[in-house]
Amino acid sequence: MIRRRPVLSLLSALAMVFLLGPILLVVAIGFSSGDTVEFPPPGFSLRWFDQALSNASFQQGLLTSLLVAAAATLFALVLGIPVALAVQRRTFRGHKAVETLFLSPAIVPELVLGFALFQQLMVTMRITALGALLIGHTVLLLPYAVRVTGASLALSDPALEEAARGLGAGPLRAFFAITLPVMTPGIVSAAVLSFLTSFNNVPLSLLLKGPGISTLPVEMLNYVQFSYDPTVAAVSTLLLAATVGAALLTERLVGFNKVFSR
Amino acid sequence: MSRKATLGLLLAPGLALLAFGFAYPFAVTLFAPPAAEHPDVLGKLGAMLTDSYVLGVFARTVRVAVTVTLVCLVLGFPTAYLIARAPKSRQGLLLALAVFPLLLSTVVRTFAWLVILGRNGLISDAVLATGLTDRPPELLYTEFALVAGLTQLFMPLMILTSYSSLSQIDPGLEDAARGLGASPGRAFRRIVLPLALPGVLVGATLVFAGAVTAFTTPLLLGGSRNRTLATLLYDYANVKLDWGGASAVALIMTVLVLVVGWASGRISAKVATS
Repeated sequence: MIRRRPVLSLLSALAMVFLLGPILLVVAIGFSSGDTVEFPPPGFSLRWFDQALSNASFQQGLLTSLLVAAAATLFALVLGIPVALAVQRRTFRGHKAVETLFLSPAIVPELVLGFALFQQLMVTMRITALGALLIGHTVLLLPYAVRVTGASLALSDPALEEAARGLGAGPLRAFFAITLPVMTPGIVSAAVLSFLTSFNNVPLSLLLKGPGISTLPVEMLNYVQFSYDPTVAAVSTLLLAATVGAALLTERLVGFNKVFSR
Repeated sequence: MSRKATLGLLLAPGLALLAFGFAYPFAVTLFAPPAAEHPDVLGKLGAMLTDSYVLGVFARTVRVAVTVTLVCLVLGFPTAYLIARAPKSRQGLLLALAVFPLLLSTVVRTFAWLVILGRNGLISDAVLATGLTDRPPELLYTEFALVAGLTQLFMPLMILTSYSSLSQIDPGLEDAARGLGASPGRAFRRIVLPLALPGVLVGATLVFAGAVTAFTTPLLLGGSRNRTLATLLYDYANVKLDWGGASAVALIMTVLVLVVGWASGRISAKVATS
């Protein structure tokens, strides 16, 4: 049954324009042939993509971002999956409190965390910018790893593992034969979300930078503050294409809604 | 191996990281930052709470965050409702469209607003083209710019949380209310809204906290004239190099977010039991 809901439809059309319009605008400007940012663009060209791809600080930033995002995602999963197992599969005193503790980095302001790590790790303990970045991003991603992999465990039946143990499998064999396959969609979702969260982060990355260590979003932020041309729009378009690609691939592997219902 | 030992092994590495990379730096920085002079965070905090500039920044941050939360609610909730009532086969795609902006960098999404609101931007060109005035309106570096940018940033969170509670509501309930004579508006208000409230509250809290702590958007769209707590903190930490001051701002920001989160949790609990 189709009902007419003029007010609701109008509001949600407005919401979609508000959400997607600015992003489409940036893509259009990325393909501009003009010398400055203008809309509508005077013509079509790929010159700003050339400009973006040959920019040394963007290249270096991209490398740092990919390295940090990949490593922090891996660390967060390696540390977070055991926590999810403990919280979901074992009953112990304070098990709610432990879960809350591991989710708490998501609650505090990222800028405050960045400032704290800058002061304590980089200034006081003299840890390098790269080290501090890796620690900071891993802390930032830990809540995602614990919650998303935990959600996939919560949906599965612990009796499966007990059956495997009852049939004579050792704890490790039961883990690799039963628990890990059950968790795989959650792990893939957590990995994609974590990678993108780390890759896009600005507050931590801005405060934890050092000589030669600066991430792509931070380089883009610097660029936008001092020059106003379509280069950043071109970089944004490339990032958009890569993100959509990653999202579609994840959809193929585990389903979109699983990624978002964290 | 005993169960206790296994449990310890599972939790210990994560706990170690939390202690070293989160709890310890956080506590030291908030309450006893290293500084050349005596780091008197509480003294700084006291001075700030009577400083009209800092109070102004605090008021602006809260004002902007509340406005953003309301706009996200008014635009996002209807969107979530229509998605939840769309044919099942289309829901996934619609939801993905509404939510995928979350996966894009805040720098990318904020850059768009520079283009829309800037001096030679879309809106000022449109206003000039009408010929009514030769002075374009000042839009960038205003609170309006902050609200627009932050709303675009956080609306997906509202849509996502509202959708997840709306999709749990049986459409039959609404049909029943309609069958008993309620108008569509009344059925919506009396049936859908109360049932969706917990999800909406979570969404509102996430949007509010996001708007209070957002950094990139106020930096680019608010400028130095419209600082928020986040850009003020950055200013103290990286420009003025006043770490006691930065810690005091960090305390204000953290307490604000925690208090609002706690209050919303209390309201949710009340709604759930009533």
